[in-house]
Amino acid sequence: MRTLTIAITLAFSIAVPHALGAPASEIQRLIDEATPGSVVEPTPGVYEGAIRITKPVILDGNGAVTIDAGGEGSVIEVTAPDVTIRGFILVGSGKSVSNESAGIKANNGPVIIEDNRITDVYFGIDLKQSPGSIIRNNTIVGKDLELGRRGDGIRLWWSHECVIEQNTVRDSRDMVFWYSEGLRISNNTVIDSRYGLHFMYSHNTTVRENHLTGNSVGIYLMYSNSIRLVQNQIDNNRGTSGYGIGLKDCDDIDVESNLLAANRVGIYIDNSPSSADSTGLIRSNKIAFNDVGMLATPNTHDNTIYNNGFIENEEQVSVHGGGQLFLNDFANNEKGNFWSDYNGFDRDQDGLGEFAYEPRSLFRTMLAREPNLRLFVHSPAQQAIELTARAFPELDPDPMLSDPKPLALPPRFDLPSLEAGAGGFHMALVAFGLVLFSALVMLRLTLERNNTPVTGNKRND
Amino acid sequence: MSTMNLNGVSRPENQSKNRVTHLSFVRSIMLIARREFRDALSSKWFLLYTIAFTTLAIGVSFLSLAGSGEHGFAGFGKTAAGLLNLIMLVVPLMALTAGAGTIAGERERGTLLYLLAQPLSRTELLLGKYVGLAIALICSLCIGFGLSAGLLAWRAGGVGAGSFLMLVVFASVLALSMLSLGVLISVQSRRAGVATGISLFVWLGLVFLSDLGLMAGTVLFKLRVQEVFALAIINPLQAFKMNVIINLNASLDVLGPVGMYASQEFGESLPWLLTGVIVLWCLLPLAVAIMIFRKRGGI
Repeated sequence: MRTLTIAITLAFSIAVPHALGAPASEIQRLIDEATPGSVVEPTPGVYEGAIRITKPVILDGNGAVTIDAGGEGSVIEVTAPDVTIRGFILVGSGKSVSNESAGIKANNGPVIIEDNRITDVYFGIDLKQSPGSIIRNNTIVGKDLELGRRGDGIRLWWSHECVIEQNTVRDSRDMVFWYSEGLRISNNTVIDSRYGLHFMYSHNTTVRENHLTGNSVGIYLMYSNSIRLVQNQIDNNRGTSGYGIGLKDCDDIDVESNLLAANRVGIYIDNSPSSADSTGLIRSNKIAFNDVGMLATPNTHDNTIYNNGFIENEEQVSVHGGGQLFLNDFANNEKGNFWSDYNGFDRDQDGLGEFAYEPRSLFRTMLAREPNLRLFVHSPAQQAIELTARAFPELDPDPMLSDPKPLALPPRFDLPSLEAGAGGFHMALVAFGLVLFSALVMLRLTLERNNTPVTGNKRND
Repeated sequence: MSTMNLNGVSRPENQSKNRVTHLSFVRSIMLIARREFRDALSSKWFLLYTIAFTTLAIGVSFLSLAGSGEHGFAGFGKTAAGLLNLIMLVVPLMALTAGAGTIAGERERGTLLYLLAQPLSRTELLLGKYVGLAIALICSLCIGFGLSAGLLAWRAGGVGAGSFLMLVVFASVLALSMLSLGVLISVQSRRAGVATGISLFVWLGLVFLSDLGLMAGTVLFKLRVQEVFALAIINPLQAFKMNVIINLNASLDVLGPVGMYASQEFGESLPWLLTGVIVLWCLLPLAVAIMIFRKRGGI
């Protein structure tokens, strides 16, 4: 990866040739000599070493300047406010846990960090006490360490009112926000990391149109209040937690119009809302093809869950450890949710089913009590248990929730449409091959052959 | 070699002494296999099972596709889950009853003595019958899978062609193991009806009772994950199921804590472990069947 980066940089630097591996002190000298507020544009090329910015300057690499810290400390450290870092390729920070080395570290913002490519770093961008910063259109790739040992792709610490948009983070730990309020987080992509977006004690933020895929958890909100999650695409997050969205002790959360697909758990609700007189809203989300659509702890209360489509989740709703969710509303005044396993009908054509949706499943109830039993899903034994429960109503468990106004059709979702898996041609080939194979075998073995008397005679007996 | 003596000069036990006049081991097996295969094709069970399996496979594919047209995602794959359930129900039933009928049926009709009078060893006879039935079963499965794959291709399903092919392979190996068990039941039984009855009971045990028992055990004795896993994979059906899921998902996390434990503990070698279990189920019952048959013969 690093040689590739260097190769690309070399290609760029042909126009203005520069010695390979010039010392970073050349850039450091430019910065030190610049007047505050001026633009510093280093000659394109590869520089080795680290940079420290102690005055407000605009550092512009025009996409052709690589700084390689060589695996020691942070690549760029910013201690002054109003610094802009744009168009750099930053590689090779240190990876010691105690130093928390980063691609870019700032502790006295605001700073603007945009259009950079930051790779092979422990932390990507690490901002402390830098309110009003902008982190835009950066690509951050972490070091190839095991999940828990990686650093965060982007970390904010006590930095209110920041804008974080159009960044791509992969192979890192979290994009995490500590004690930072009023953020704007949109159009970011986090892939193959631990928690896509992680909020710790960070309130009043809108999270819009991010794409979180292949992480352990998509979005994890912890002890953070008044957060709106809108139109995010959250799929294939299947780590040991494996939540699309996790809500832990959060008040006044609004989860609206998100796509939650193929996660282990679509939405996990742990004691949210937690304080009295606060509520939670979960509406108009498409929750599809997850192992569990919604998992909630039994004490969950005061959430209003409506106009969502619960589509073909292995298990639509589950209560962690068993129990019921009657302290939550699965419908607002007009409508409830669409449930793909709803058995009722809509006689008066008003778009609502005539009976409440009250899922009862003996096997699911057993699962909630004894998670190890999940080993037996997709087996005839599971079907046998469900059948038994239906045949003997006294075995039928109480429903875990009640949606009084289930939707007859899935709501329309304002979501980016996803490409369906192709492969029809290969499948046709498989189909043809299998049938041809059996036909050939049959012909080969049944055609009469005169020189095999045993078969010939036996058949006539 | 080619002029084989049909009237059976020698009893099978004496064969080894005048081996020169007899067919080679493999050729004898193939001769019997060919006979068995043709018998199977002309018999009602083969036709019935093929039609039933094909219809069910197509039906399951069609039903599960109906719900998931517009969405690109398929999670575990409803089609795969449906097919998996179907295979676990029907394939063992097919293979067990087919295997159970073979020796017991000939014994009941009296044709077994005639067969044993041929210049073949009992091992060759039994293996030949096994191979013939195995080919018949695999053909039957291939027709069913092939036609439902045709439907999936037409409707462009979410399951990849490669995984589907692996599903066919796994189902075939499962069929072989169940056939092995069926043959073991057959050499033990004097009448075809009894053999079929026993095979149905074994089917019930493998498909339902063992799982239900293990579930009850898990709840009652609070078994730890490694214990549940170890007990579960003894059942070739569970091993088969896990293998299919690994093939589709690269991990067993859909199976909850036990699945995650297995994935973490065994990692890359897990599919081999599971395949090993099923292969053992192919070899062991067959070996025991051969031993019993050599001792018992026509009676």
